Amino acid sequence: MHAETLLDIAMMHSDTLIVKAKQGDQNAQGRLVQLWYKRIYNFGYKFFLDHDMAMEISQKTFISMCRNLHGLQDTARFKSWLYKIAVNSCREEARKTKGSRSLSFDVVWNREAEDSPRWESSAQRHDNPEKQLEQIELSDILQEALLQLNEEQREVVIMKEYEGLKFREIADVLNISENTVKSRMYYGLESLRKILVKKNINKDTIGYEL
Amino acid sequence: MSYKPDERDWMAYLYGELEGEEKDRFEQYLQTNIEAQNELLKYQQLRNLISHVDDKEVIAPPLVLGDNKQQFWDTPYVKTILSIAASLIIVILVGRMAGISMRVTDNEFKLTFGQPVEVKNESPVSNDNSLTKEQVRDMINASLQNNNLAIEETWKKNEEKLTASIKKNLETNSNRIDQLVKDASSVSQRDIRDFVASMQSENMRMVKDYFQLTSTDQKKYIEGLLVDFSQYLQQQRNNDLQLVDTRLRSLEQNTNIFQQETEQILTSIISSVGTTKRENKN
Repeated sequence: MHAETLLDIAMMHSDTLIVKAKQGDQNAQGRLVQLWYKRIYNFGYKFFLDHDMAMEISQKTFISMCRNLHGLQDTARFKSWLYKIAVNSCREEARKTKGSRSLSFDVVWNREAEDSPRWESSAQRHDNPEKQLEQIELSDILQEALLQLNEEQREVVIMKEYEGLKFREIADVLNISENTVKSRMYYGLESLRKILVKKNINKDTIGYEL
Repeated sequence: MSYKPDERDWMAYLYGELEGEEKDRFEQYLQTNIEAQNELLKYQQLRNLISHVDDKEVIAPPLVLGDNKQQFWDTPYVKTILSIAASLIIVILVGRMAGISMRVTDNEFKLTFGQPVEVKNESPVSNDNSLTKEQVRDMINASLQNNNLAIEETWKKNEEKLTASIKKNLETNSNRIDQLVKDASSVSQRDIRDFVASMQSENMRMVKDYFQLTSTDQKKYIEGLLVDFSQYLQQQRNNDLQLVDTRLRSLEQNTNIFQQETEQILTSIISSVGTTKRENKN
């Protein structure tokens, strides 16, 4: 799905860094944060579709990581362990926000009216601007569709589809069986399909090469 | 063929996590079942569709972690115990200094400040030689009579003294008035001028003194004002210097953060360049 970048390769081979960070090396901890920040932020963002919440989740996750890393037994399970912290943070925030419904500043603030169009700052700046705008719109629609899934399915779909975790790793993160993870994924995809059909989003309507 | 994959098999195959015999069996099932092929195509299309969610670009902010190693003295229960002990010591010290003592004796609670004073048991007055009512009445009457006599005598004496003093005063006053009248008639015009001149000079001296005093007070006040103002200026200068110092530090910190961010951006650029190269090779 995603081409592996140097950053991904660095994340895969960060055992030495994790060992150093476990020993309390703050420099190594800082490097780990830099390596994983984007992934955890995007996990939080897809979970809540909210920048502030994603920032909060990332902050909490990495503070918890730095404080509890010394207790991690197996460095090979670092990825699952980190996502476990992130999932717990998301659940905690979701519980908090259930009681108090409030609008994010990002929602209230008409960003487009004040800022330049978002496609200007997108990574594929050299592409056709119209296509880029369509891509952004599609991305927003898909994010909203994700938000309509229930929390259990959303967690699994994000971790599998966007974070590239194996079913075994997701089972480890959520502390459930691998079969349950696969079931949640199946029903999550089914729900997504229904939501997208309802929104009339398919390969013909979006005009993309799928 | 009785094999029919369940939802778990579908997911495992879709994400490439079905291996060995199970994978072969699933693929054979697909080959023989057109509906299943269509279903797989739908799933693949759905996956392609949902893969269009972009990752947000974000730069890791610097995390500031406090020292989380809790000192023994910082643990809550030690703090509680220490605070109770400190309160007790304070109570004991205050009690010691104020000399407070508390005692419970014979069903009574005593709180005393300083040394307790022992109450001496006075011997009860003996009523052996008690007087009769009549004797007491006679004694009272006798003392009243004595008092009345004494008061009458003192009244008489005072009356005599007053009349004598009034007479004396009248005589002396009339003599003085006569003398004053004589003096007034004998005062010449020159004396009046002298008196007025002396009054004027005295007034001048008073006004002069008053102005001198006020000018010294004003001088002191202005001096004080100047000192205060210079101190205020000095304080202001110190504050400005501190502000400049803080701003400089913040600028330095910002520069460091900017440097870190630049490093990260460079890393991501390098990574995307690496990806592009690899893609080109492929």
